[in-house]
Amino acid sequence: MNNDLKQQQIARINIYALLSRLTMNEVDEGLLKSIEEDENILSFFPTYAKWKKRDEYDRVGLIQQYLNVDFTNLFLLHLIPYESFYTREDQMMETGGDNPVQAIFNAFEFNVALDKARVMSADHIGIELEFMYELCKAELRALEADDMIMATQLSQLQYGFMKDHIVEWAPMYLLSVKNEAGTAFYFDLADFALEFILSDFEGLNQLKENEYKYTV
Amino acid sequence: MYLKSRRTFLKGAAFTVAGAAIARGVFEVDAVAESVTDSKFTNTPASLSFYPDQSEWDSFKELDGSDWKRGGIERHGVRSASNPDGIQVNDYTIVPTVCSNCEAGCGLTAWVNTNEFKKGILTVRKYMGNPLHTGSRGRNCAKGYAVTSQMYDPDRIPFPIKRAPGSKRGEGKWVRVTWDEAMAAIGKKMHDTLAKGDEVSKKSIMYHVGRPNENGFGPRVPQSLGIDGYNSHTNICSAGAREGTIQWANDDRNSPDWANADLIFLQSSHAADAGHYFQQSAGLIADARKRGAKMVVIDPRMSNSAGMADLWIPTWPGTEAALYLYLVNRIVHEKNIDGKDLVHHEFVKEWVNWDRLMANKAYLQKMIGYGYISKMPKDDSYESFIEVLKELYAPYTKEFVVKECKLEGMEYKLDQLWDLFVPAGAKIASYLWRAGAIGHRGGWMNTRTGFLPLALVGAMRGDIGGVGMHHWHEISVAGKGDKATVAGKHPAKTDVWNELAWPPEYPISTYEMGYMLPQIMMDDEWHAKWTKRGLKIPKSMAVYVPRMHNPLWINPDGFRWIEALKREDKFELSFNLSPTWSETNWYCDYVLPVGLAGERNDQQSTPSKPEQRIEFRQAVLRVAAEKSGWKAKDPSRATLEAHMKFGLGEVWEESEFWPNLIFHYVDKDGSLGIRDYWASKKDPSRPVSVPEYFDAALSLLPRLKETATKMYKDEEYPVYSYIRDHGAWTEKTNVYKPQEEELEFDGTYYHAHGHKYSKDEVTKDKFGALWVKDGEFKKSIGVDINSELHEGFHTLSKKLEFFSEWLADEWKWPEYAIPIYPRDEKENDKMVHLVTQVHHKHMKADNEFALNTIYRLPYNIHTRSVNSKHLMEISQNHNPIWIYTKDAEKLGIKRGDAVKVQIEDTLSGIKSGYFVAMAVPTEATRPGVLACSHHAGRWKLQDSVKIPGFEHQLGVMSLGSPKVSMTNDGKKGTMTTTEGIKPHKAWQFKEYNRDLDFIWWDGLSGAWQNAVAPCHPDPIAGNHGWHQKVIITKATPNEKIGDISVDYEGNFKVYQAWRDQLTRPLNANDKLRRPYHIKRPVKPSQKAYRFEIKDV
Repeated sequence: MNNDLKQQQIARINIYALLSRLTMNEVDEGLLKSIEEDENILSFFPTYAKWKKRDEYDRVGLIQQYLNVDFTNLFLLHLIPYESFYTREDQMMETGGDNPVQAIFNAFEFNVALDKARVMSADHIGIELEFMYELCKAELRALEADDMIMATQLSQLQYGFMKDHIVEWAPMYLLSVKNEAGTAFYFDLADFALEFILSDFEGLNQLKENEYKYTV
Repeated sequence: MYLKSRRTFLKGAAFTVAGAAIARGVFEVDAVAESVTDSKFTNTPASLSFYPDQSEWDSFKELDGSDWKRGGIERHGVRSASNPDGIQVNDYTIVPTVCSNCEAGCGLTAWVNTNEFKKGILTVRKYMGNPLHTGSRGRNCAKGYAVTSQMYDPDRIPFPIKRAPGSKRGEGKWVRVTWDEAMAAIGKKMHDTLAKGDEVSKKSIMYHVGRPNENGFGPRVPQSLGIDGYNSHTNICSAGAREGTIQWANDDRNSPDWANADLIFLQSSHAADAGHYFQQSAGLIADARKRGAKMVVIDPRMSNSAGMADLWIPTWPGTEAALYLYLVNRIVHEKNIDGKDLVHHEFVKEWVNWDRLMANKAYLQKMIGYGYISKMPKDDSYESFIEVLKELYAPYTKEFVVKECKLEGMEYKLDQLWDLFVPAGAKIASYLWRAGAIGHRGGWMNTRTGFLPLALVGAMRGDIGGVGMHHWHEISVAGKGDKATVAGKHPAKTDVWNELAWPPEYPISTYEMGYMLPQIMMDDEWHAKWTKRGLKIPKSMAVYVPRMHNPLWINPDGFRWIEALKREDKFELSFNLSPTWSETNWYCDYVLPVGLAGERNDQQSTPSKPEQRIEFRQAVLRVAAEKSGWKAKDPSRATLEAHMKFGLGEVWEESEFWPNLIFHYVDKDGSLGIRDYWASKKDPSRPVSVPEYFDAALSLLPRLKETATKMYKDEEYPVYSYIRDHGAWTEKTNVYKPQEEELEFDGTYYHAHGHKYSKDEVTKDKFGALWVKDGEFKKSIGVDINSELHEGFHTLSKKLEFFSEWLADEWKWPEYAIPIYPRDEKENDKMVHLVTQVHHKHMKADNEFALNTIYRLPYNIHTRSVNSKHLMEISQNHNPIWIYTKDAEKLGIKRGDAVKVQIEDTLSGIKSGYFVAMAVPTEATRPGVLACSHHAGRWKLQDSVKIPGFEHQLGVMSLGSPKVSMTNDGKKGTMTTTEGIKPHKAWQFKEYNRDLDFIWWDGLSGAWQNAVAPCHPDPIAGNHGWHQKVIITKATPNEKIGDISVDYEGNFKVYQAWRDQLTRPLNANDKLRRPYHIKRPVKPSQKAYRFEIKDV
């Protein structure tokens, strides 16, 4: 595989990892430090980069007094980061085995450690994004092994999962997060996630239309 | 600007942190097993139901929760011999029981996993509600669901322990003993005391019950011993409310019909936030509001209830009576929009004792003397009574109430109150309890006056949507299992009167003055004074038994409790029947671990709605084991045996403990005449068992007996079997206005309350009350109203008593015998007994405040919650001191500041010490009033206890209390925290405590303010006035949150001042200890009521 393709895959892997991590749990001091000290990552958080609160508090203070409070509001209490809430007519969360996302994970022999994730069911935005991260990693391995059949299948899977699931609901949720965010950090995160998801879906679509002839 | 260029995201490849280092990694790969098609289980249930049908409770199979959530059965299938990787199926025996964490007695079900029963393991996986309990209706509060963490508390005391020989109380040296070793020593001491048979010995054993949560078993114990030895916690938190209700209706408290009311009228947050019977009441109130009912909350603090009410009125604490009498003033003077009177004349004329007031000319003259009215009424008529009311309550104007309740700027709220009050008519439900009634001297008058507007509009009739009475809706049969015993009858009443619980200064207290036991025990001067006058009062207590009680911590003047309990010349032997570690345990000779909600056997009845219901708390491991075929070796010890066999430890409970203690050790040869009351009738060679006793007791309910004997016709104990399997029973619904029930007269006999009286022995007085002889006294059995006979209220007049004739005449408080409140400054000084110790007249400087202490925290119980990790986690707010934002601004106090809260007694002027608390400026408390609940601030002196010969250290409140150091030189006591919670590993119940590493809190939940508070006995009701005048300053750098400093000597002087300056004690002219007609728990004989002393 050429280096550009590899870089693109690594970029997708890293971004899915970052987004899934930040939408799943509260940010910790180490991760926040990494974000702040990496100009590439920080460039996805432009409002946060200039946020005045950063001058008033150290990272721990910022996390405890602002970021965790906002996370609780956006991911635990007032907004519902679960697909079934958005896709079921009765707006109930499906926490059982009939959850269609769970069914997909079952089919691919993935078991979600819900206690580790600290989420209620497998269709949480963080889990779905981490699933994409896993698929991108596998796709990269297939490309590195020059197994184009497997890479194509994995890309098709990503396209299908995005189309039937993530793109179906995550933009609505992320727009709400942007609207409700009380901190620059989570405002930027929502914007970043929204842009990336739509952009990546566009990329997957192009690849599909291009009959999976991998180019950058 | 959708979309950004995809190239923008290529920067992701340049992240310095790789995705693998960031991602949570929540995906695990595992193999999928074959699906199982012939299973009752589905991936997702078709509908969500918390509770299976009761018929399935003995064996309810459910997929293991966490496994099921990871993919449903299509992933692994159901576990079986051929499919070992499948999802586990748990086989539950669902055993109903009752929560024991507050008075509400909400139903619970214990889900006992029986999968490993054959290996001798039974575990309760969770506690849920009981849908068959018609009060709680399958719902519980945080405390109910926390029972699992209480049951499997890693610091659960695993066996009885005894103070190590040679050590002193409080040293913290303990040795392990068996239950029988403990009972042998205790039983001998009790036997030797009772064998003396004299008056003093019958007052020398005290059973001091904290939260009883049962209806009569406890009182049967001292009664069977022939002693006057029952003491309780109830006075301290409710005497004021009780006193007011007793004067109106001779009932313990009222019982509202929340669900059908049009106006929910709350004094404080107690009924709906955290008090009696709040989880049930809150649900019923929510139902009413959904229907359109309005809610008013009168509370200086914006509680949860106040926050969601239609109207919040933050009166100055203790002045609520002025507000209630303002309503009365308007009710008697104004008319509704149809031009009709607001007074419900039909009800008031028939059911209020106005006629006795109008006939009592001497008292009316006194009213003129007091300045209540200006002239004698023109005649005895009802119309003239209404004119008396108009004059009497005319001074309680809007201007007056605004000034007295300090509602300046909030006048509009009084108009809003009126606009909500009038349309509700008689459909007003209220529960006057705690808060205004208990925090203050004279708090009882808040209840007395509070019922008056409700009576005038007819709400006190007890009809649909109104206010009923407590005993209408309560069933107490737990003390009546007599037929299961050899004696076959109830123990006789004792002939002695115990002044330690019922001192002569407080003859109408409601009830035992239990919280001032150390003040009484250590006051030699007081003892000598009354001894000289002829009373026989013990100088020491032979055996002192707290039960589910932590008196040392919860009562005021805690340092005096410590000093008293340490004195072996005052408390010769003490043992605490306690489910958890407590501060009191530390100073006892024995700690005997007893059960929590799912480990006890109690009949309880909570009047939370107009019905008569019982609930049965039971030892769930015993019941589940018995259902699985296990049998105890000794039926009278089945609960203890089950707990030992199935992994809970040597945890017992009272309904087996007391029969065993008395039968085997106190009266083993029967010579004291006590044994037969606890010997099994079925097998007299052993004590009575739980099924035997409670089958007999519950068989007293006719409808239950009829239903149970049909349903369980093959069972030996059908009624017990019914309650064992269902956990609750509603004997009667729609219990409204029973006072209006016809009193049956068959021409020869009157039939009243299960007795019949020949017409020759019944006399009718001129007010229609029917009287019979009751031993040496008289009692009324019914009332003739308009030539119809009715059962009547529980009072002597059989009507609601606006005029408390007995209080005015024999019991020395004539000026307070009608609902009244001082109307001007002069009266305010004169009526000192009625005016709160935190009245605003005492607050002079900007830093002087009234401290509101008595609101409960909805997630806390004084004694038992301390080590429940779930409750601890949500209660770690350091119980801040709430201060109004502008007050804080004025004093320069900011959120999080440590403030020193100095308590000053407004009667004696003595400053009794201080505690240090964390300030939180807020709009949720009114100006001038601070709020800091006294329900927090637990402490311990050691982290753990080493028991010789036992391999593990026993942790001491290691999830909920910091370690402290304490000093007391006899003049001043201090306490300061030295260390928070330490990392901890469980040696028992490990599976339930894998999360101990997650504990983030330090255990400091506030200062032990109860120790600083001096003992403030109200001179009439006897309650401790909980609220305090305080002076606040910023803490110095050396003073930290949680510190306390107590003027030990000063506190005693405050107690003496309240006792000696305010009470009207019994004297040589008095013939009775207490009015015979009002309630006294464990009532002694009429002989004991006789009072003869000489004045010296």
